[in-house]
Parts: sequence; C-alpha cells; structure tokens
Amino acid sequence: MRRLLASRMKFHLLGAFLVSVGCATLYKFGVAEPRKRAYAEFYKNYDPMKDFEAMKAAGVLESAPPK
Amino acid sequence: MANHSQLGFQDASSPIMEELVEFHDHALMVALAICSLVLYLLTLMLTEKLSSSTVDAQEIELVWTILPAIVLIMLALPSLQILYMMDEINEPSLTMKAIGHQWYWSYEYTDFKDLTFDSYMTPTADLPLGHLRLLEVDHRVVVPMESPVRVIVTADDVLHSWAVPSLGVKTDAIPGRLNQTSFTASRPGIFYGQCSEICGANHSFMPIVVESVPLANFESWSSLLSS
Repeated sequence: MRRLLASRMKFHLLGAFLVSVGCATLYKFGVAEPRKRAYAEFYKNYDPMKDFEAMKAAGVLESAPPK
Repeated sequence: MANHSQLGFQDASSPIMEELVEFHDHALMVALAICSLVLYLLTLMLTEKLSSSTVDAQEIELVWTILPAIVLIMLALPSLQILYMMDEINEPSLTMKAIGHQWYWSYEYTDFKDLTFDSYMTPTADLPLGHLRLLEVDHRVVVPMESPVRVIVTADDVLHSWAVPSLGVKTDAIPGRLNQTSFTASRPGIFYGQCSEICGANHSFMPIVVESVPLANFESWSSLLSS
C-alpha cells in the first residue's frame, strides 16, 4: 500500500494524457486531414468554366439563362 | 445551403472560409483532447481509483499551468493569422453596397453605372418546383467569380446582418454606419445566406443569394439591368 496513490496517479495521468492525445490524433487523421485532402483534390483539376457551363445548361443561374 | 440535419459548416466557397474550416477543425481537436482528458479523470475519480489526499502538489500545479498556457497559444496563433488575413489589403475589383431594410435587402453597384435593386424573398406560394423554401429571392446578388469583391453593409431602419456562410461573410448592418467586408468567390455557383440580426417580424424571411459567374456574364448582367 506504500506509495499506492502516487504510483496509481502516475499511471493514470500518463493514461489520461495518452487518451487525450489519442482522441486528438484520431480526429486529426479521421476528419481534419481527409477534409484538407478533399478540398485540395477538388481544386486540383477544377475547371470553373466547365462547371459554369453545366450550371448554365441546368438553368439555375439568373444572370446566365440557358439559350 | 445547409441540409436539414447538417451540423458542420457548409462547403467553403472562398479562401478565407477554407482557412476558417481548417481552424475550426484544429480548435475542435484541442477541445476534444481536453474533454477526453477531463472525462477520463472524472471516471477515475468516480470509480475511486484516484483520490486527492495530497498536501504538496508543486509539480502538478506547474504542469496544469504551463500546459493550458501552451494550449491557448496553440489556439491563438492560427486564429490571429486568419484575423489578419481577413483584413489584408486585397484591391477589390468591385465594390457593392448591401442595405438592410425591414424586411428585404437592397443592393447598389455604383462603380461604373448606377445599378440599384431590391431583393425580396420569394414567397412560398410563388416558389417554382425544386426551389429552396425561404431562401430564394427575386433578384440575386451577382458577382464575378475569382475576383475580390468589397461589400459595404449598412441598414436603413434597424439592425440587420448580411451573412453568407459559404463565403465566410457575416457583417452587421447598422443604421448610420458603414461596415466593410470583402470576399472572393473561388468558384461559380449560388450561395445562400440569411439575415443574422433580429430585426422584427420577418427577420427569418429576408434571405441573401449570391450568384458567382464569370466576369463576362457579370458585365452583361449589369449592363442589362442598368439600361
């Protein structure tokens, strides 16, 4: 029982730190990084004019009605 | 626009909004780390695996002063970076005014010709099939894409707020005051927003619709409307 609290506290504080860093890492690589990659992928080969022509053909633009 | 059960941000349509989305991910990650730490320690305390009958705690006191200070700096630095980025001098190619009224917006493009129009919400009874309820307007705000646009926001009567989440814009419209904001639409599209300051009975029924098109189309639209 000697120094039980101290050793337990040390163990659990380390555990708590690992849990919190683990959660943050999970979020970073599960959500944040994929989102950054998705934006980069979207704009890598993005053709705004092609997108605009598709919107125009669909008739959704007030300033550019389809012919 | 937002989907019915959407919790997160709308897709960013301007570089500033992309930065804000990334910063929000960073801040949420920090918040998640702290909450999981607190939850873990709380669980330990409630299951009696940790007690606090200590008299001397110099080391832990140092740790729980230094660590939060580091966390705050980790939050403050990117936040200030984005704040300054928003105020960068970006030489807008177009200046327009958005004036809030009860209960509609009016817009003025007075750079070249005098183009002024009102923008009322399309009532649900007149809404064509497939259009967005309480979000469509009779005259949209048309802007050239990939060009910095300066918006001067004010109000005619009571407080309003000109907000378009996708572009990362929200600026209060205050009677007697001109507030300035700017944005660059990264791509062509239609971006929706709603009045964001309580302004009376129809506060929820004065939306904002920004239509971003290539410069040539913007010029032909503005010539048509100002003639």
